Amino acid sequence: MPLARQGARRRSQQEAVLGAPSIRRTAPADASRAPLGPVAGTILDASPHLLVLHTADGEVRLPMTEATTVWHGGRGGPGSLRPGRDVVVRPAADGLRADRVWVDISRVAGVILACGRDTVEVDMGPHRGRAHVVIPPHALGRILVRHPRMEPGYLIDTICVRSPDGPRAVRPGTSQPGYRADDLASPEPGTPVPDPIRGTATWFGGIVGQQSHTRGDGSHTNVVRGWRRSLAGAYATIGAAYPAVDSEGNAGGCPDAPSGCVALPYLSVGSVLSVRNECTGRTAAVPITECGCAAALYCDRCVECGTSPRGRVVELTPAAFVSLGGDLDGGCFNVVVRPTGADR
Amino acid sequence: MITVVLNTQVVLLAAVLLAACLAKLMVRHPAGAAPEHVHGVPMPAGLGRATALRQSRPVNVGLGLAEGILGVSLLVTSHISVRVATTVTFAVATWAVGELRVHRPDAGCGCFGGLSTKRVGRRSVVRTMLFTAAAIASLWAPHAGADVLFSGQAQVALVLALELALFAALSPELSVLRERHCLLRHKPPDPCERRASPLAETYATLYDSAEWLRYEESVSSAAPLDIWREGCWRFLVFPARADERDVEIVFAVSTAARDRTVRAAISPPTTPTPTPAIETTPDPTPVEAQTPVAGRT
Repeated sequence: MPLARQGARRRSQQEAVLGAPSIRRTAPADASRAPLGPVAGTILDASPHLLVLHTADGEVRLPMTEATTVWHGGRGGPGSLRPGRDVVVRPAADGLRADRVWVDISRVAGVILACGRDTVEVDMGPHRGRAHVVIPPHALGRILVRHPRMEPGYLIDTICVRSPDGPRAVRPGTSQPGYRADDLASPEPGTPVPDPIRGTATWFGGIVGQQSHTRGDGSHTNVVRGWRRSLAGAYATIGAAYPAVDSEGNAGGCPDAPSGCVALPYLSVGSVLSVRNECTGRTAAVPITECGCAAALYCDRCVECGTSPRGRVVELTPAAFVSLGGDLDGGCFNVVVRPTGADR
Repeated sequence: MITVVLNTQVVLLAAVLLAACLAKLMVRHPAGAAPEHVHGVPMPAGLGRATALRQSRPVNVGLGLAEGILGVSLLVTSHISVRVATTVTFAVATWAVGELRVHRPDAGCGCFGGLSTKRVGRRSVVRTMLFTAAAIASLWAPHAGADVLFSGQAQVALVLALELALFAALSPELSVLRERHCLLRHKPPDPCERRASPLAETYATLYDSAEWLRYEESVSSAAPLDIWREGCWRFLVFPARADERDVEIVFAVSTAARDRTVRAAISPPTTPTPTPAIETTPDPTPVEAQTPVAGRT
């Protein structure tokens, strides 16, 4: 059953047995607090004044002005908008033009497995696979300033741009936590869930990890998928990876997921979160689409607008992140999260 | 009178050694009690190794057993070798506690296992010094500890009570013991929304509930169609037949540590509405077609 249908079915069955939840998924009355409508697709054609995209809903034409900024591994111009590239577009508040365009952006966050001279092997979690990140010399300094421990076992988080060699690091996503990934200090089991839950929201995606497969003879091989495979569909999905997805039954959680550094309630894939960007004030209802076992490892803060409490409480897809007014190349925003499902 | 005081030291030392033995065997060192980094700067290797050794469970068990053997020996025999061994043990302990007070006071002295986690202060050093003095005095005591206890002398009881009161006054472990006791008695249960409730527990609660008995005959398959969790509730959906039509029975089982409740509702196999891309309105649900019922196990 598709995820959206499964989530809707579960919600209706929950309400049947427990009644309607007290937190309703209603639209904010103020338009400035409503989520933006991001567009994600593959470039068909581009001129300085018009961007033509192929999206899941068909062809979309987006006007561009001089105020439109393009990101392609840094500040790019209209020359970066080449046919075949995947983009995420944030519309201006009036919805009439493209405000920001991110081209072939991706993010690699996880545990460092190995470090080469200018490459890092990263384990992004059991369901996301591994990534081989190239760190070019001009980006190495910026990465090292915020990731001083480039050693196996420590965490890394980099904003990358897709390239034929794999994801190419451009800048650090956030600062590296000072502890090893297996040395996470989780809250006590009796710690109550804060209401509301405050912390950091980041985003994930733009990359297809290498999955380790086992052959019949027991040996392992890594399958590398084509880098030019379009990820526009994944960019466009509205969803979230949540660190505390239950691992029992069909809830969708990872069996050995760390308990994270924030006391979060157990939920399931298909549960809906009310997510508010504290920096822009925009709020949206975002369904959980996967287990956030990688996010659970990070006990970091976001300093986008004030200092957030520790812990990544949600990892959003690019479209969900942009819809809440986030900058993909910025990496994070301070967030307030409320589960909208069953009450106690 | 002097003989009474000397004999009492044997009983006191035996009691202290047996208490230390029990504490080391029963109370583990809390994890992370002695951090290896101070403001991000690692501790010197020697000190780090020493505290790591002391926090090692096998080392603690070995020390505890040795203290237990020494305590029992003091009670059953008046042999001089046992008294000398006790004196040497307390002299070494005095030196170790003094060193810890200078170099790693934050690590606790570990004299009574996981109970000795408070900062090593002057009280701990004075206490071990007094025990060493008592051990030296016991070298001249004529009787074994058990003989002294069974002699039933009121003077022995008085001196022992005074010494135990002084021991209690010099022991920071008592407050730790009191805190642990309060914590265990008044520990709040894990919040239901964060409690890792295994599926077997959910099934056991469900099968024991009145709701399951009520719908058991209607359920057409023992294998649920779907299982998921939302905070304090785990939901199980079973296929069923009611009034000659196919339906689904949804059970909501609480994930609380105790007093778990079960609720149930009959839900027609409806065509669900898809999740909006960015939801702006509440989900319309044909609630009138569903029959909620509630019950307690």
